[in-house]
Formats: sequence, C-alpha cells, structure tokens
Amino acid sequence: MTVYLIRRAIQMVLVTVLSALLGYTLLYIAPGGPLLFLQQMQNEGQRRVTEDDIARLKARYELDLYLPIRFSRWLIGFPRGPVQLGDTHLLAPDTVVGCAIPGQVRLRYPDGSSEIIEEGCNRVVTLNDLAERRSSRGILFGDFGLSQQITRDRPISDLLMSRLPYTLQLMAVSTLLAILIGVPIGIYSAVRQYSRFDYVITGIAFVGSSMPTLFMGVMAILVFSVLAKNAGLPYLPSGGAQGIRDYTIPLIGMVDAGSFLDRTLRFIMPVSVLTFFNIAGWSRFVRTSMLEALRQDYVRTARAKGVLERLVILKHSLRNALIPFVTLLAGVLPSLVAGAAITESVFNWPGMGRLLVDALGRSDYTVAMAILFISTVLVLIGYLISDILYTIVDPRIRLS
Amino acid sequence: MATTTSAIPESIERAQPRSEGQWAVVVRRFRRHRLAMFSLALLATIFLASLLAPWIAPFPRDDIALNRTFLTPMSADPATGRLHLLGTDHLGRDFFTRVVYAARVSLMVALSVTTMVAIIGSVLGLIAGFFGGWVDNLISRIMEFVATIPDLPILLILSAIMVQNADLIVLPDWIIGPVAWIMAVPNREATQVALLILVLASLGWVGIARLMRGMVLQVREMQYIESARALGGSYTWLLARHVFPNAFPPLIVAFTLGLNGALVSEVAISFLGFGVQDPTPTWGNMMGFATSYMFNHPWMPLIPGLPIFLCSLAFNFIGDGLRDALDPRLKI
Repeated sequence: MTVYLIRRAIQMVLVTVLSALLGYTLLYIAPGGPLLFLQQMQNEGQRRVTEDDIARLKARYELDLYLPIRFSRWLIGFPRGPVQLGDTHLLAPDTVVGCAIPGQVRLRYPDGSSEIIEEGCNRVVTLNDLAERRSSRGILFGDFGLSQQITRDRPISDLLMSRLPYTLQLMAVSTLLAILIGVPIGIYSAVRQYSRFDYVITGIAFVGSSMPTLFMGVMAILVFSVLAKNAGLPYLPSGGAQGIRDYTIPLIGMVDAGSFLDRTLRFIMPVSVLTFFNIAGWSRFVRTSMLEALRQDYVRTARAKGVLERLVILKHSLRNALIPFVTLLAGVLPSLVAGAAITESVFNWPGMGRLLVDALGRSDYTVAMAILFISTVLVLIGYLISDILYTIVDPRIRLS
Repeated sequence: MATTTSAIPESIERAQPRSEGQWAVVVRRFRRHRLAMFSLALLATIFLASLLAPWIAPFPRDDIALNRTFLTPMSADPATGRLHLLGTDHLGRDFFTRVVYAARVSLMVALSVTTMVAIIGSVLGLIAGFFGGWVDNLISRIMEFVATIPDLPILLILSAIMVQNADLIVLPDWIIGPVAWIMAVPNREATQVALLILVLASLGWVGIARLMRGMVLQVREMQYIESARALGGSYTWLLARHVFPNAFPPLIVAFTLGLNGALVSEVAISFLGFGVQDPTPTWGNMMGFATSYMFNHPWMPLIPGLPIFLCSLAFNFIGDGLRDALDPRLKI
C-alpha cells in the first residue's frame, strides 16, 4: 500500500507538471496578448509607443525572459533573484536570463528592398534584475499570480476564494440531494423491475439524462420565472445569488434584497436543475448495478435460507451494488470547481464555472489556466480517492 | 454406390432458406424499437431540411430589418405582408431561415467532429490493442493524460483562444473550402467553424480509442485470428478483414452517442460565446441571444431550444435502440 501510494504520488506530480506545461504552452502560443494591444495603440495614433514602453510591458508580463526561465518562475517561483546558498552564489548574479530590448539588424537585399530582423540583444536581463521584480511563489504552491483583466492586479487566489463558496454551496447541496433521492429511487425500481413505477422512473431518467443542462436551465427560468411572473403566480427570481433591489412575490410578499429568503429563492432553481440531472444519471446507474447484484447466487441462497426480503435487499445486494457507485462519487470532486460552468452561466450564479466563462470572455487567460490547473489536480485526487475507497469497500481488490 | 456420395436430392438443397445475415438481424431487431425508429425519422427530416437549407429558406440568412424585430411566430411582416413562420429575432432576421441554416452548421459540426473522432480513436485503439508492448503503453499513457484534463474547462479555453483570435490564424484553402461548402457558410466564416471542429475532435477521441482497444484485446485472442495468421495473413489484412469488423459493433453505439456529445458541446460553447460567432447561425448562439430577450419575449428560447432538445433525445433513443439490436444476448 505504501509503495503504491508513493508511486501514485510521483505519477500525480508528473501529470500535474505535464498539464501545467500544456496550459503554459497554450498561453504562450495563443495569438494576441498584451503586445498586440500596444500595437493597436500605435496604429490608432493615440500616442507614440517607445522602445521603453515595450520593454516595460514585456517585463510586466515576463515576456522578456527566456521560455524555460519563465516557465520555471511560473511553475515553482524560481529563480526569484540571484541564486545563493548562504552567501555563496551558485550562479553568477549577472547570468543572462532574458533580453529586454532585442538588437535590430537591417538587412539589405540586392533587389533594393530591406528588412529589419531581430538579432542579438541590446539590453539583457540578469538574475540581479529579477530580484527587483514582483515574483509569484509558483502555481505548484498555490500562487497563481495576478489577474490582468477581471480584477486589475489583485491576486488570482483572492478572486478564486471569493467565488469558491458559491460553487461549493451549489455542488454540495445538489450532490447530497441527488444521492438522498437518486439512490433509493434506483434501488426501488430495481427491486420492482418492470413495474409501473420502474417504467415511469426509467423513462424520466432517460429523458432527464439526455436533456442538455443548457436547455433544462433555460426552460426552468422560462417556466418558473418568466411565465409564472407574467401569470401573476408566485415565481422564483432568476439570475445572480442575491437581488439588487427589493421585490414582491405574490402570496409571499415583500422580499428584501440580500436577505436569507432572497438568497434561498435564487438558490432553488440552479440547485434543482443540477440535482435533477444527477438523479437521472445516478438512479439509472444504481438500478443497473442493483439488478446485477440481485441476480447473484448468494442472493438466491439468502432467500432460500429464509432471510427477510428487506435484509436480502439492504444487506446482501445493496452493499455490493454500491461498490461501483463509490467511483462515480469520486468523479464529483473535479466537477466541484468548474463542472457546472453551463448551469452557473445560465443562472448567472457567481461561482467558479461562471468565473471561467467571464475570464475567457475578457481574455484573462491566466485566471482560466488557474481554474484548469485546479480542476486537473482535483481530477487526480479524485482518481486516487476512488482507488483507495475501492479497496475499502471491496476487500478483494488489492492495490499493488 | 461410389457415385452417390452426395445423395441429397437437389430439391431439398434448394428448399433450405438462405440464413439471415448479421446486419439483417440487427436491422430487424432495431426496427422493433419504435421510439428509435421514430427518432431516426425525425433526425432524417431535420437533416434533410438542413441539407436543403439554401432552397427551402424563405428569406436570405442575414436579412436584417429593424422595423420587424421580435415578430411572434406565425405573424406577418407589417410592411411587406410576408409570413414569418417562426417569427423574427432581435435584428428582424427570419427565425425559420436561421434555424434551418443553424441545423446545417450544428449537425454538420457534430457529424464531422464525430467522424474525425471515430477515425482517430479507432486507428489508435486498433494499433494499441493489436500490437501491445511499448506502442500500447505509449498510446495508453497519452489517453490517460487526455482523460485527466477536465473536458469542459479545456474545451472552453481552447475554443476561446482559437475563436477569439480566428483572424490571426490562417487555415489552408483545402480545409476552408470543403468546410464552407459543407456548412453552407461563406468562406470568411468557415475559419471559426473549422477551428471549433478541430478543438472538439482533438479532445474527444479517448472514449472511442479505449473502447476499440478493449474490443481488440478480446478479439485478438480468438482462434480465427490465430488461424488467419497461420495462413500467412499480413498485419494490414488481419486488422482490416478480421479484427476491425469484429470489434466494430460497439463502435456504432459509441458513434451515435458521440454525435449527441459533439452536438451538445458545440451548442454549449456557442451559447457561452466562444464557439461560432453571430452572423453564422448555430442553435447554440441563437439560444444565447434568445435567452437574453426571454423576459420580454418568452417564446424566443423555444425556437432554437426545441431542436436541440429533440435532436439530443433522438440521438439517445437511436443509441439505445442500436445497443439493444446489437446485443446478441438480449432477446427482443
């Protein structure tokens, strides 16, 4: 077990670094970027852009550093200045790590045309220069740097922490409700296979799990907010986690913006949509594995011995039927972060998924990458947890 | 008696009916699944309509007229008296026309993504499963890695980066031309559609590759493969003639469900604004605009929403029917 865990830990770090590399490459090859903005300014004639402007902007986004240095600074926050152990410098403090202003060479071609290419370096960046810069501690240690667009120059981790409670609230409640409702439904419809209840439930579950969440969300707003409001019935407010100004709902009365009632009313729809979607998927899953378990020989033996039917179902079948379900639950973990991006966007719920969409909409790719990175790490942790849980619920399986 | 070794009279031999082929059985079983047949008919109708889009659309696709915005379905334009079957959108463009053109884009994106995914996935799965060893190891590791990255965030990020900078990316004409022709969009709009297809296809192949690898691992150990190899069959021959056809059936179900997945992904990405951009209609971006006007015009989200829902449901029913029809253990 220990050996297995160590191997898994190494694997996880490797995959994490790889996915970070992938994310960074995406950022790097993405066309556009801050320099394009400077070029636009120049073209529109707002003001003349000087060499120093470019150098300053490059330094701000670390574009003047060589790629490996940039990546390592981004990933683990190294080097943050001269590399020294005690007082001895491991690397010369004037080691060149980048180029602030590239040298320009004018090439003249025989046909009279000329072209300016960048060659050599007029002003270099050394390790000493890095000491004066603002450095992050590296994303591996949870420092995602600064947000560039959404909140100007505030740490991304602050931004994430301000959105996280909303997503956790939404996902935790809907997951819990879905387990509490979906599992019993699945069990009951397996025990009463081909009954009317089973037909109705499997029918609803099939339609429910094949309905796009987007459609379901919009329809929910349409029916419970728009149409109900137009018809003068009690309606559910939609959009956001809390209202901006007070409003009245028929039969309920005045609702103060930001009050507990207001928050609850706004919470109902997104949570119901997610719950319904999960119930549909999970009840089908539990039904299938329960049917499988009920068909086993030991169930027949138990029945033949005269064990109470309730005990046969709860003790003999259910406990075995829930083994595969445990792995499904580990899959919930990564979805805690950005899994509900669509639902959150439809209901304007200020969670992490919504943040991802906003960040992408405003080209704040560093925020998006932070979210991607966190969800990847959570996927890996989810896999690990599900593997370990598997050995706990099913002692036949050994990790090696 | 030496001459009558085959003593079966000719009449009996002819009377034996020709046994039903494998696919005839599947078709017969599939046709019993009434919902799946109905779904197939529905999808065929929508698909046909989308193919005939340039001919059946009553208005030009981007015909903007600000004096007839938000007309309700089945109402006539007050100025010209022409009927708008499904009403008009926020810019006065005919909804029916745009839904039909959007069907073309949405369905064709789904179809091309799934085809690419199926090709990449089954080739990689075949190679990994059949040859084993370090090839299998390498491909499996790549599959694990791609499967680890959460789908929705990476899809959104990739398509946002690609589509927001579509002007800066130059695709070769041999991609743009066919894409524009298939999607019935002008060449300049084809780049973003092609990019979206590439993004969706580059991440979607893992499921099919896994399925294929698993099937091939089973099939590889069969005796007929051994005998074909003993007869001197080349690898290509073995793979094409024996392994692939026998590993194929589950792939059909995966393909159908993959179509649904691609359709829903494209709709979601376009809805959030990172997919196909406005003048090019897709059900996703139409839904995006419709939801922002739904408080005053509640009928609007239904127009692109119902086709999305119906197609999604239809793909699932067909997949279900195919799964039942292809499962020899199941008696229907």
